[in-house]
Amino acid sequence: MIKITKKDLESIKEKHNGADHNWIKVGFSTCGVAAGAKEVYDTLIEEKRKHSADVEIKKCGCVGMCSAEPLVEVHIKNMPTVFYGKVDKEVATKIMEKHVCGKMLVNDRIYDLKLN
Amino acid sequence: MGKTVFIKDTAITGKDRTRDFYGVFLGILREKGLENEVQLVRVADIGIYGQGMTVRVLPENFLYTNVQENDIPAIVLESVVGGKPVQGRSITQPSRQLRIVLRNCGVIDPESIEDYIARDGYQALAKVLGGYTPEKVIQEMKTSGLRGRGGAGFPTGIKWEITRKAQGDQKYMICNGDEGDPGAYMDRSVLESDPHSVIEGMIIGAYAIGASKGYFYIRAEYPLAIERIEKAILQCRERGILGENILSSSFNLDLEIRLGAGAFVCGEETALIASIEGKRGYPSPRPPFPSIKGLWGKPTCINNVETLANIPVILMKGGAWFAGIGTESSKGTKVFAVTGKVKNSGLVEVPMGTAIEDIVYGICGGAMTGKNVKAIQTGGPSGGVIPKEFFQTKVDYESLQKMGSIMGSGGMIVMDEDDCMADIAKFYLGFCVDESCGKCAPCRIGGTQMLRILKKITDGEGTQKDLGQLEQISFAMQKASLCGLGQTAPNPVLSTLRYYRAEYDAHVNQKKCPACKCAKLIRFLILQDKCVKCGMCFKACPVNAISGNRESGYLIDQTKCIRCGQCFEVCKPRAISRS
Repeated sequence: MIKITKKDLESIKEKHNGADHNWIKVGFSTCGVAAGAKEVYDTLIEEKRKHSADVEIKKCGCVGMCSAEPLVEVHIKNMPTVFYGKVDKEVATKIMEKHVCGKMLVNDRIYDLKLN
Repeated sequence: MGKTVFIKDTAITGKDRTRDFYGVFLGILREKGLENEVQLVRVADIGIYGQGMTVRVLPENFLYTNVQENDIPAIVLESVVGGKPVQGRSITQPSRQLRIVLRNCGVIDPESIEDYIARDGYQALAKVLGGYTPEKVIQEMKTSGLRGRGGAGFPTGIKWEITRKAQGDQKYMICNGDEGDPGAYMDRSVLESDPHSVIEGMIIGAYAIGASKGYFYIRAEYPLAIERIEKAILQCRERGILGENILSSSFNLDLEIRLGAGAFVCGEETALIASIEGKRGYPSPRPPFPSIKGLWGKPTCINNVETLANIPVILMKGGAWFAGIGTESSKGTKVFAVTGKVKNSGLVEVPMGTAIEDIVYGICGGAMTGKNVKAIQTGGPSGGVIPKEFFQTKVDYESLQKMGSIMGSGGMIVMDEDDCMADIAKFYLGFCVDESCGKCAPCRIGGTQMLRILKKITDGEGTQKDLGQLEQISFAMQKASLCGLGQTAPNPVLSTLRYYRAEYDAHVNQKKCPACKCAKLIRFLILQDKCVKCGMCFKACPVNAISGNRESGYLIDQTKCIRCGQCFEVCKPRAISRS
């Protein structure tokens, strides 16, 4: 691979911070994995395929709300970006059906939201 | 963006009324024909605790606490429809976390270097290699006032300067990731969630001190952290961020990982160095400090994971910016791993100088079960307890020390009224006795003897003389032990003695445990007049010490009872007495 220089850092940054799009992040640190993040991630991927949803599913580290793991952060355009906590297979299915496809937030599972 | 309303009952005790309130709120929305335009959501946590029914209106983020049913029409009319706060009712949520170390944690994919670069990663390194002399980097660090986050709080800039000035043909940079305090895991989380920020901090540090070789010392119990650091190092090597001519400059550095086998003492720097050298992890007397004579006798700089994660931000934004956060003597932020009997356990990053009560009640929501918080324990086995009466204390290195505790690596364990302080002291001392390497006598013998006395006290066989002896041995250990482990091991004992002498006295004089924790000093009895014969205790008892049936009632066999308290916890009519 080509060695990068200072200029490359800028171009990688620009390319990476592209247009706003829908995404879901699943916390994949020890705390999340131990609480069952893998199953949640697999369920989300499977449900996404089923619904052909326009959303990118990513892995990320630990946000720090360890008591609410597995955590799933959902960003859908024109909706508040929220963190779902204690997510299991059932909730993951609901997130994809209701939140991503139906544009409705899921009750009783939101633990935090991202403001800006 | 459409209108969204979050609701949650934040009362700590009693029934959660969120569902009832949801119905009422929805009814009012329907009345006004808004049910399709406004999304009403019951949330699990709204970031406010003990303030009754709480409503948050988005996207403007108006926040209302202690909302009554007759407040709803005004909120709907003025905030939801009108887009304005209800005068005199709307509050602003004090956002108490400030994330510098955890800036990327949970935001980026830790296995993607592009994600890190997209969040200004390696910009600080490019800035440093593009025009800063090592002296200027050190100066910037001294301006920032950053102090070591591993616990001792030594100024990082000065450590770098000493290592830079030390004579040696080869110098080393080491990242101390041997996190061993019970209940502390912020280093693991940073290594797992943002490995590149630690690597960037190390490269900058190595440049400042003039090292061309660096080591990550990570405990083997952190397999995921090791895997991600390994991956990150590989990505850096491929892209010319590690190796020769980093970012096309003339600076060279390579990093390697060394695994710790899980000995607590190996977090101490001289023992850590011995461990990397392949020797037994024994500490050695300082001076000479590692900055002068460290790994293989060469000048070595050892920094903690959290310290290193701060460095890229400091050099991006400048030392003066960093020095503007925190208190007079302690700058920047500190990550705490809040655990124990607290509602929201997890990682919390706050500016230095934040009051303990803001962390425990404001951010973490207070005690888990509605019981009263009794104290917190900070600094792991080297720290002490801070009772609830002193929760206004602002956290920084000096104020915690004044309270008889220490900052330590950042573990904060919350204890409620069911925790016995003599038992807590016994637990931490037991940890240190297990982890003592046995090289010096004060730690090896002193620890064992103190543990013996504490066992005696919690078994109800202690005397007043024992308490005096505990103090005496503690002072001897503090003075005469070889390394930090032995010197600080008596701290939990001394601080609990200082604040909870009455509890020790009760154990010794009345042979009673006020918190009803010490098994030998309590007994459980079924109060027959209150018992409803439901049989819950019978099912809960793990040793079949409860006999009887639903007709005749139940009895506890005291000879079989192990005093675990399971029956006490499950008894709804409170028909089991604990004394």
